Amino acid sequence: MASTGVLTSSERASGWRPDPVLWVRLAIIVGVLVLWQVVAMSGLLYQDVVPQLPAIVAALGRLLVNPELYRNLWVTLYETVLALVFGGVAGLFVGIVLGGSRFFGRAFEPYLYYLGPTPKIIFFPVMIMWFGTGGGSKIAMGAFSCFFPVALSVAVGMRAIPPILMRVGQSFRASPRQMVQKIYLPAMREPVVNGLRLGFGIALIGVLLAETKLSNQGLGFLVIQNYQRFDMPAMYALLIAIFVLSMGANAAITRLTSRSAASGAR
Amino acid sequence: MSTATNLHQVSRKGAAAATGGQPILTVDHVVKSFETPQGKVTAVDDMSLDVRQGEFVSVIGPSGCGKSTLFNMIGGLLSITEGEIAVAGERVNGPHPSIGMVFQEESTFPWRTVEENVAFPLEIQGVGKAERLERAQHFIKLVGLQGFEKRFPAELSGGMRQRVAIARTLAFQPKLLLMDEPFAALDEQTRLLLGDKVTQIQQELNQTVVLITHNITEAVQLSDRILIMTYRPGRTKRIIDIDLPRPRTSEIVGSDAFGRYVAEIWNDLREEASQGMQDEEALAQQRKRP
Repeated sequence: MASTGVLTSSERASGWRPDPVLWVRLAIIVGVLVLWQVVAMSGLLYQDVVPQLPAIVAALGRLLVNPELYRNLWVTLYETVLALVFGGVAGLFVGIVLGGSRFFGRAFEPYLYYLGPTPKIIFFPVMIMWFGTGGGSKIAMGAFSCFFPVALSVAVGMRAIPPILMRVGQSFRASPRQMVQKIYLPAMREPVVNGLRLGFGIALIGVLLAETKLSNQGLGFLVIQNYQRFDMPAMYALLIAIFVLSMGANAAITRLTSRSAASGAR
Repeated sequence: MSTATNLHQVSRKGAAAATGGQPILTVDHVVKSFETPQGKVTAVDDMSLDVRQGEFVSVIGPSGCGKSTLFNMIGGLLSITEGEIAVAGERVNGPHPSIGMVFQEESTFPWRTVEENVAFPLEIQGVGKAERLERAQHFIKLVGLQGFEKRFPAELSGGMRQRVAIARTLAFQPKLLLMDEPFAALDEQTRLLLGDKVTQIQQELNQTVVLITHNITEAVQLSDRILIMTYRPGRTKRIIDIDLPRPRTSEIVGSDAFGRYVAEIWNDLREEASQGMQDEEALAQQRKRP
């Protein structure tokens, strides 16, 4: 659990070295691009559906200088972060309660397990009625979606704290506050970070999905707009941008949480 | 206790035992019983024990005899049904600042380095960072882990991790070091060598130690006295004085005197252990599906 965190940080400290895995990863990207281009040139599929790479690259170039992208990107990010804050805080709280109490855990967790994998988009009409057609319903969708993985992951993490560590704390006469600060929280770091990371991805999915359904701004809206115009190169360019965005956000959240956890342990 | 042993104690410990009339640990007619659906079960029954300053006492018994229950009661992590436990003259009702516990299980904090682990009890007491790390350093040296201060437990061997746990408890500076099978998860050779380390530390600090164990050689190697417990309910079967010379190292396991003590203790433990085994078999029989 925590030991994997230790290993990765020491790996990071040992400096960057290209390894075979990295080559395979690069080869996969190159392979996909080549395959794409071959299919596009072969004429097996409609040129419009599978545009050639240069067309996509050109569209990507136009996209990246277009202020519209950044305006909509900002909207989506803003909605996602707010969704993660609302859903994540609620999930953290519920997770700690469910993980800390056998009774509440047994009483409530089945609902979480069954509701968790349900596609939340089916609740979107309800969200529109409650929070309107603007950003509110998108944030609510994202928050509702990411609440479940965060809550479950925190509850599991709480229960996974070895009881021996609490007994050690007690034997050294740690106060309840010290127990939380110096034992519970650091012991739960990994599941909490993983929960938030998972939660971020799912909040983003919720927000983007909602934007594609009913919206006049945000990246999801842009995708659908390009689709409706049948501007495939622009749509693919946008998908690449979203992919890079979620990867970058994921890396940022990992870095942020590992740094704060490391300083918290001191 | 025989007079001869008392003389031995006095001569070895000198003034400490002679003037220190008050024992460090007093276990006075202690009983522990649990309510279960099948009725009341007595785990520890009317046990008494006095441990003097600087003394190393082992409590040995077959598994299931309630020795861990006794450990938890002395450590203040478990309530006492009847009787009283006192440390340095103060009644134990909860974890006591004069008692430091070392547990059987893996108990180092994986997210803390060795020095942060050892400094933990000082951190709880509110000792400043620079001072607690300096004081931790002393105990890290004592258990022979200098050079590993910045390592994480995952990077150490099991024996080293257990030494971190011991150093951490020593940093708490307890009057009584209370250990529950601290070497149970280690191999025999590591165990013997760590035993030497413990003996050396105990002599250096004149540390009072109570060790809970099921390992006869470990008990004889380390102890001044050994309390043998009966199987369920746990009672005091006998207390044996170990009259082996000190300073003592693990080489002593080869001596005739050592062998005689081991044989003598096994003689007492045998019927208790086989009773335990029969009980467990009967229990497994009951659990069998019809």
